[in-house]
Amino acid sequence: MYLTNGIVIGVINAVSAIGVSLIVGIMRVINFAHGELYIFAGYFSYHLSLTFGIPPYLAAPLSIFFIFLTGLGMERTLIRPTYGDEMYSLIITFVLSIVLQNVALLVFGPYPNKPPNLVDGASNIFGLFHYGNQRLLSFVISIGLLLFIFYLIRRTWFGKSVRAVSQDRGMASLMGVDHFRVNMLSFGLGAALAGAAGVLIAPIFPVTPTGSSSVSLTAFVVVVLGGMGSLKGCVIGGLILGVIENLGAAYISTMYRHIFGFIILILVLVFRPWGLYGQRTQ
Amino acid sequence: MDIKKLWIPFLFIILAIFPPFLLSQYWLHVMIISLFYVMMASSWNLIAGFTGQISFAHAAFSGVGAYVSGMMAVYLGLPPWLGVLIGAGVAALLGLGLGYLCIRMGGIYLSLTTLGFSEILRIIITNEDKWTRGTMGLQIPGFFTEYSKASYYYVFLVIAILLLVVIYWIIHSEMGLTFRAVLNDELAASSSGINTIRVRALAFTISSAMAGLAGGLYGHYLMLITPDIPSLGQMFLVLAMAVIGGMGSFAGPIIGSFVLEILSEYIRIYGEYHLLLFGLVALAMARFAPEGVIGLLGKKWRIEWSH
Repeated sequence: MYLTNGIVIGVINAVSAIGVSLIVGIMRVINFAHGELYIFAGYFSYHLSLTFGIPPYLAAPLSIFFIFLTGLGMERTLIRPTYGDEMYSLIITFVLSIVLQNVALLVFGPYPNKPPNLVDGASNIFGLFHYGNQRLLSFVISIGLLLFIFYLIRRTWFGKSVRAVSQDRGMASLMGVDHFRVNMLSFGLGAALAGAAGVLIAPIFPVTPTGSSSVSLTAFVVVVLGGMGSLKGCVIGGLILGVIENLGAAYISTMYRHIFGFIILILVLVFRPWGLYGQRTQ
Repeated sequence: MDIKKLWIPFLFIILAIFPPFLLSQYWLHVMIISLFYVMMASSWNLIAGFTGQISFAHAAFSGVGAYVSGMMAVYLGLPPWLGVLIGAGVAALLGLGLGYLCIRMGGIYLSLTTLGFSEILRIIITNEDKWTRGTMGLQIPGFFTEYSKASYYYVFLVIAILLLVVIYWIIHSEMGLTFRAVLNDELAASSSGINTIRVRALAFTISSAMAGLAGGLYGHYLMLITPDIPSLGQMFLVLAMAVIGGMGSFAGPIIGSFVLEILSEYIRIYGEYHLLLFGLVALAMARFAPEGVIGLLGKKWRIEWSH
């Protein structure tokens, strides 16, 4: 049971972490506002479905689309001028996370909100135990999203230009790849993945404006564990963290759920700083 | 600093003697808090502005200083003066450890890990409420048996000036030269024989120790320590003061601290909007005027001089 929970959360972790990893791999920018985008997506889907009466299965993709647009806007106005200046991109995304967190507090209030489930009830899994349908659906959609991202990066023209830009920006632009466009789309996609994870998890664990930093932190631990910029690393890292956090929370202490993540982060930095699938040279 | 320029800080120090005779208790309190932020923002600027590493654990280190010193005073009966020094030492050791682990991997790792460290510290302090009283806050003794804001003001003033002298000395010494060499071109610096990792780790340790010291003083002044001291909101305020005042300059964070702390007192009348407002200003500054207010003033003066 704890293991299953761990795997479900792990896959959603992976979706969220790939959003960070994609941006780091391509642009060498860490998006500290990742958790806030996730929280905003959760609130959007809550308000679209409950305040505006849009059916949940439409409200969810619509929220993700809004976050995608937000990501595009962020890249164009704030991140693009900082290219090549790692320090300012770190400062700007951190300040942005504080701004968005305060906007969320102001607009949505400090109370946890939970959008309606897409599906109700529970299913019997292999005759072993009952499991909530919402969790199963989130799990299936997450797997679908992961497969879609792998397809996008490995098999399409967009993916090819993304990989080209992340390997050698100058050379890629000489070959006719518009790297501004690639950056902007990747940032939007990274934001949309944060949004997707937020929408998927909000019906299970309600979102609050102050919960955003632990969301970001989880994604960062997964990215470092898997290796910066590695998509496969995100999936494996997400699963490992999801399982360890859930087992740890069940058998040791729930309050210290996030401490396991931090311990993993420190262990990775001590023994294998380039992560599971990262490149040794930075 | 040549002798002719020495009159500027001298003048400020003379002026700084008077506030306890002129200001109300409330504004004296604001001045004391501003001096705390001067210590925080200037020491953060030492690593961020002069070696280019963004640490998000500066508020966390001040929390380490406040809680180490405060808990030693409460549970062991240690005098606050000693506790503050031990707190600064513990913060320095933690800074050394984190710095050593992350700095060889580059700036992004330091930022990620320090962010993680400050979240974890906040979670531990909040949850271990048997010892820390959690969000209720722990009552700790002050420095003086007889409470007086004026005495605290002078303590903060003297220590802030001491830290600023040390920071000034560092950035104008050979060490400062290596800091800037590492900031401008890491590869060139390392090929001219500078151990870039050691330089960065050293800067990080010194700055962490200063944060610990400032935090310890702050705790014993407020006499109530809460998990707000090591929070990311507090971290953001320190960062905004340095960014808005002007990172990489000596005077920038000092000006930023006073301006933002005094402004936040006025904004507080209308509600808790100061974080949002400072965030928007800091975003605009980082985007359009990365050298901060100091940079803008400097540019204006230079234009006027040339006419």
